Amino acid sequence: MNARMFAVRAAVSVLAVAVVSAEVRAADFNWKKFQGKTVTFLANNNPVAQALLTYKSDFEKLTGMTLKVDGYQEQQMRQRLVTVMNAHSDEVDVFMTLPSREGEQFAAAGWYADLSAMAKNDVAKEYDPSGLSQALLKAATFGSKLTSMPMNIEGPIFYYRTDIFKKCGIEKPVSIKDVEAAAAKIKACDSVVTPFVSRGLKPAVAYTFSNMLHNIGGTYIANGKSNLCSPKGKEALDTYSRLLRDFGPPGVVNYSFQQISALYRGGRAAMSFESSNELRTVMEGGARLKDTALMPFPAGEAGQVPTVIGWGMAVSSYSKQPDVAWYFVQWATSPDVQKKMALQGIAPPRPSVANDPEYRKWIDEEPVRKQWQAALDVLATKGSSEVGYPIVANPESREFIGQAVQDLILKQKSVDQACADADRALDALIAQK
Amino acid sequence: MLDAAATLTQDRQRLELSALSAPAVIFTVAMIAFPVVYTIWLGFQSFSSTGKQSFVGLANYSKLIVDTEFWHGLWVTIALYVLSLVLQLVFGIWLALVLFHAKRLPGIVRSLFISPFMMPPVVAGMMWLVILDPSLGAANYILQCFGLPPSEWLASPTWVIPTVALIDSWQWTPYVALIVLGGLQSLPPSVYEAAQIDGASPFKTFQRITLPLLLPTIVTAAILRSVDLLRFFDIIYITTQGGPGNASNTLNIYGFRVGFEFFNIGYASALMLTLTAIVFGAVLAFNRLRGAVAW
Repeated sequence: MNARMFAVRAAVSVLAVAVVSAEVRAADFNWKKFQGKTVTFLANNNPVAQALLTYKSDFEKLTGMTLKVDGYQEQQMRQRLVTVMNAHSDEVDVFMTLPSREGEQFAAAGWYADLSAMAKNDVAKEYDPSGLSQALLKAATFGSKLTSMPMNIEGPIFYYRTDIFKKCGIEKPVSIKDVEAAAAKIKACDSVVTPFVSRGLKPAVAYTFSNMLHNIGGTYIANGKSNLCSPKGKEALDTYSRLLRDFGPPGVVNYSFQQISALYRGGRAAMSFESSNELRTVMEGGARLKDTALMPFPAGEAGQVPTVIGWGMAVSSYSKQPDVAWYFVQWATSPDVQKKMALQGIAPPRPSVANDPEYRKWIDEEPVRKQWQAALDVLATKGSSEVGYPIVANPESREFIGQAVQDLILKQKSVDQACADADRALDALIAQK
Repeated sequence: MLDAAATLTQDRQRLELSALSAPAVIFTVAMIAFPVVYTIWLGFQSFSSTGKQSFVGLANYSKLIVDTEFWHGLWVTIALYVLSLVLQLVFGIWLALVLFHAKRLPGIVRSLFISPFMMPPVVAGMMWLVILDPSLGAANYILQCFGLPPSEWLASPTWVIPTVALIDSWQWTPYVALIVLGGLQSLPPSVYEAAQIDGASPFKTFQRITLPLLLPTIVTAAILRSVDLLRFFDIIYITTQGGPGNASNTLNIYGFRVGFEFFNIGYASALMLTLTAIVFGAVLAFNRLRGAVAW
């Protein structure tokens, strides 16, 4: 036996022992281990948490624990979290987090407990941690620390009105240039409808703009410096702002998902580039069910590099009962709960759930749901989690991206000036330790 | 001997009363003093994006002097303050006069007139956000019905401050009116009877009698609204979040973002303490004015 074969056999033996011991541990797993304990969950009052908390009593029945929910709107939730964490308080055990936004920052601040060991050793047989989206697990890993478990998968997708496209003689767009050409045709063909709408509100812009930048082939950082003034960066800024300025609704600089969904659902926009999470809102009332098609945002010179993110559940590093908190995280991100949430329109971060017959049946009920799932599949396989700058001060970086886009929409600066001003501010952020 | 005993009893009673009220006094002082002292202390600290803290002395205040966003925020705060205060005082006095003279106005109508300020500002902000939406809102529809061009309202860098001032004035003018109405009802009728006998016109009566006599009440209303207007946050946050660009980025909104979105609590505290000093300055100035116009 040569050395290589010996090494392979040794590795296989170790893996076999590990698998067997993990299975033994899983078989030993007892959901009632922490009966009588209370877990405090700081939740963002969004559709993901709302869907999850529908099953709150199931968790309490399964574990005998009490789940105390502290729910706020997204921004208020973060304020509460900052206050609690800065005080090193243990009053929050589990909180919702967006790794793409605050992951670097919270990880550097030491606010996340490391879930790696618990996700490996303290799991129920049916949990299957490796069944979760590997891209999202990777996005939630900072250093070697696994900081949160994915709750859902989402990203901006392209909604468009097939009836208006047909009326104006427009083919399904396959490139960004096609989107702009379609918008111009719609503007001439139907003056009542807004040709294109996406995010213009300063802090919200990065979510959709990142997809455009990556499709065009741009990057946020090159050689340690902000790269918005690169030719690709300028092209992305120019194209995104031109689409909104020339073909967007008046007042688009105040538009985020609420306004976009309301406009599209009301039949007053022909194309919308907005979150996959908005499907339920957009389809409310059923008016858009038969005249809407969905797909990832059309390709640029670099092809399709959609943005993919997901909410995660993290355990606070100041929690005095991380093992108890982990039971809640595990239950909330288990295949069974994620399947139930998927049937409420929360895209599952587990391919196994996406292939579940009951879920497939729900998807197959409407063509638009099929397209939605197909778009999400592309997001899951080709997506990038980079929304704004991959730095600790990511939330602040989004402000400067938004400012540059707004300056162009409002024609307050030239592209060169807007990107130069943004790069200057962003270089300072990148330099911050 | 008796006097000494009485003094002793009085002293003892005073001591007992002090001891009984001490917990409440200490609690109240602590509740007021602690946040202020803590914020002053935070103003001397620097917090990195990761929450790491270090003592920086007056660095936050020197940063403030060269921070263009601070000066812009200050300008926006003052512009919004002046515009809103003027609108609210002018229309508040007018509304108070209407309510004072229209004695037959049914109670329900009077209640409706003053109802906006009872509405939570978040609700008012959401409501106006919908009304002023350039695409879907009723405001542009009404303008177009009269053949007027549509406006971008909150989405226009030029119009955002007047629009926010209008929303705040819609909500708080009735409050000013209520204060002024109280002042009007307390004015001595004999002065008006004398003016009538002298043949003074209604305008002259208002100019020479009502307005001067109402001045202390108006200044009180101005003080109350000044404190609120300089701390103005909720409606701006709901409607524009400081945008478009940074056109409505008041010191309050800026401080909030620095503190709670960028986690630089130290610099945010320095910003808020500066704003507090401005509020105190405005209140002191109005207090002096009130002293000058008292009758």
